[in-house]
Amino acid sequence: MNELIKKLVEAYGPSGFEDGMRDLIRPEVEAYADEIRVDALGNLIAIKNGDGSGLKVMIAAHMDEIGVMVTHVTKEGFLRFTNIGGVLPHNLMGSRVQFANGTIGLIYSDRIEDRGKIHPLNKFYIDVGASSPDDCPVSVGDAAGFVRPFMAQGSRLTAKTMDDRIGCVVAIEAMKRLKSTPHQVYFAFTVQEEVGVRGAMTAANHLDPDVGIALDVTLTGDVPEARPMAISLGKGAAIKVKDSGMIAHAGLVRLMKQRADAASIPYQLEVLDGGSTDARSMQIANAGTAAGCISIPCRYVHSQSETVDAGDVESCIQLLVEILANPIEL
Amino acid sequence: MDTFKLLKTLTETGAPSGFEEQIAPVVQELWEPFVDTISVDRVGSLIAVKNGRAPEPRPRLLLAAHMDEIGLMVTQIVEHEGNGFLRVTNVGGVDRRQVYAQLVTVHGRKELHGVVGNLPPHLLPEDRRDKPYGYEDLVIDVGLPLADVEANVSVGDFVSFRQPLRKLQGKRVSGKALDNRASVAAVTICLEYLQGRSHDWDVVAVATAQEETRLLGAFTSAFSQQPDAAIAIDVTFGKGPGASDENTFDLGGGPVIDRGPNVHPGLYQGLQEAADSLEMSINTGTHSRYSGTDAFGLQIARDGIPTGLVGIPLRYMHTMVESLDMKDVERTGRLLGEFITRLDADFISNITAALMEEEKA
Repeated sequence: MNELIKKLVEAYGPSGFEDGMRDLIRPEVEAYADEIRVDALGNLIAIKNGDGSGLKVMIAAHMDEIGVMVTHVTKEGFLRFTNIGGVLPHNLMGSRVQFANGTIGLIYSDRIEDRGKIHPLNKFYIDVGASSPDDCPVSVGDAAGFVRPFMAQGSRLTAKTMDDRIGCVVAIEAMKRLKSTPHQVYFAFTVQEEVGVRGAMTAANHLDPDVGIALDVTLTGDVPEARPMAISLGKGAAIKVKDSGMIAHAGLVRLMKQRADAASIPYQLEVLDGGSTDARSMQIANAGTAAGCISIPCRYVHSQSETVDAGDVESCIQLLVEILANPIEL
Repeated sequence: MDTFKLLKTLTETGAPSGFEEQIAPVVQELWEPFVDTISVDRVGSLIAVKNGRAPEPRPRLLLAAHMDEIGLMVTQIVEHEGNGFLRVTNVGGVDRRQVYAQLVTVHGRKELHGVVGNLPPHLLPEDRRDKPYGYEDLVIDVGLPLADVEANVSVGDFVSFRQPLRKLQGKRVSGKALDNRASVAAVTICLEYLQGRSHDWDVVAVATAQEETRLLGAFTSAFSQQPDAAIAIDVTFGKGPGASDENTFDLGGGPVIDRGPNVHPGLYQGLQEAADSLEMSINTGTHSRYSGTDAFGLQIARDGIPTGLVGIPLRYMHTMVESLDMKDVERTGRLLGEFITRLDADFISNITAALMEEEKA
């Protein structure tokens, strides 16, 4: 599985620029899907047919990642940029980014007078080795993703974009293992989650599922001076009860707990104070969806060293398979 | 129907946003005798339909009163000398200054009564005595050892505030969750009012879910029910010491009919005419952008729904001593009922045509 993880987490795909991601994921799921669609916004939807006795279930894992976009090229050839999604200035100094055409850039900031203070984003720039706009290989509007190789150390897996390529991995692996299901299952690899859970919104409006389950990372409370949170790496799949964007369907939360208990899958219950997921969009689509989320606990989210535990990833896959392989009664 | 008993039943049921399964059966029992169909939808809203007498397909009016309330949720179980305490976070817009020292019910494997505790001022450093506690300071104490707490409570369990509804003077009452069970009560009174009267339109009464967090039930029920018009009913700000004159309303002064971008002028006018025919005193409320109510969600469902907004004046919103005058609740119910009996086949075409008329000099 690490091979698949490495392939997905090292790939390029800032929000709005997910074409390459779609091309990477499509061959991974083709053999396990009864039908594959790409919708107008670029969501990749792999459908697994049920036996007609179950519900319409949408699974959402987002393909996009946070990144940067060029806003201005200085006459010396440096690039000023804006954020795509939740880019944190304190994670930027010395970062490397890559554009769609392969150009690598280095990020640094204007002179720092006070080492205790971090510049705002508009005081940072990208150096691609150009000396003027004329020899600059990228232009205004081009987007870049961060560059950082995948690393596996023991059971800990680190990459620039576990958020949310690891969710995509959970979806792909679950598709592989799901021999049969009573449900019509739509595995949606969504676009533009990081800029306002937008791809999942249109996909859910179109697919009109009864149940929506997002697969995404969540924060942990197990690092020095962390904001208190009862989620730790290595203690199992996280079943979301609430985040700052939505409250999960109480019946779906109960069902997830039952399935995990029945199959002896380790799990933790998640109450997240910041952030939300594709479940937020699915919940309010059309006449409403019973929405929830299986979260992969992740340290250092939105940094270039997002870290998950392989055992938790496995638990998430197993839990998703257990849910989809059995009847869903809410 | 005894309005105090009705409000008491409704407000004393603990059901924070997302946990409407606690309150939906209570509302269902109240509404069932008055309606033709009733069911819970897939986000937890309760939807009841009372058929009108016009030939099918009949126009439909949706009434939305949210049944969720603000509350808390367990985030951690912590241990102190063998006893178990709960850390919590807010569900909906809880006023952080008033969480300390409240009575609560923890909805765990079984329901546990608890209190929200921290240190008394005597034991606090001087510079902290005047400051409200944050969630990181507060704990819920259910009076049990850690093992018993862990056996009964999980992270993610809902916690509701516990406060009986009390009578003040006259027809004033005070308690929790009058936002917005007072409006659920008003819809109940409206449905009862309609029993002896005939109305052409179908009435779709919805007790919406998760208003306090994201107006979820408004968006989704308006989509599923496809009404021709809708009215949101919610509490609004009562006048009282310290309150500005602007957009606050006397308790007992009657329902507040809102104008503003979330409201269709035709609904505003129709509600006014209904009040006139009842010789009922009303006030006009305004919102300049976002009404902060289900009306915001109802209005933009599907291809747009002409929406009205009726408010019940209430003091001390989002506290455990929310106060209102029961006369306003009763009047709101009658006003909605009267509005409904006056609806005819041409109502929508008339209010639409009115929008096309040239501005009268």
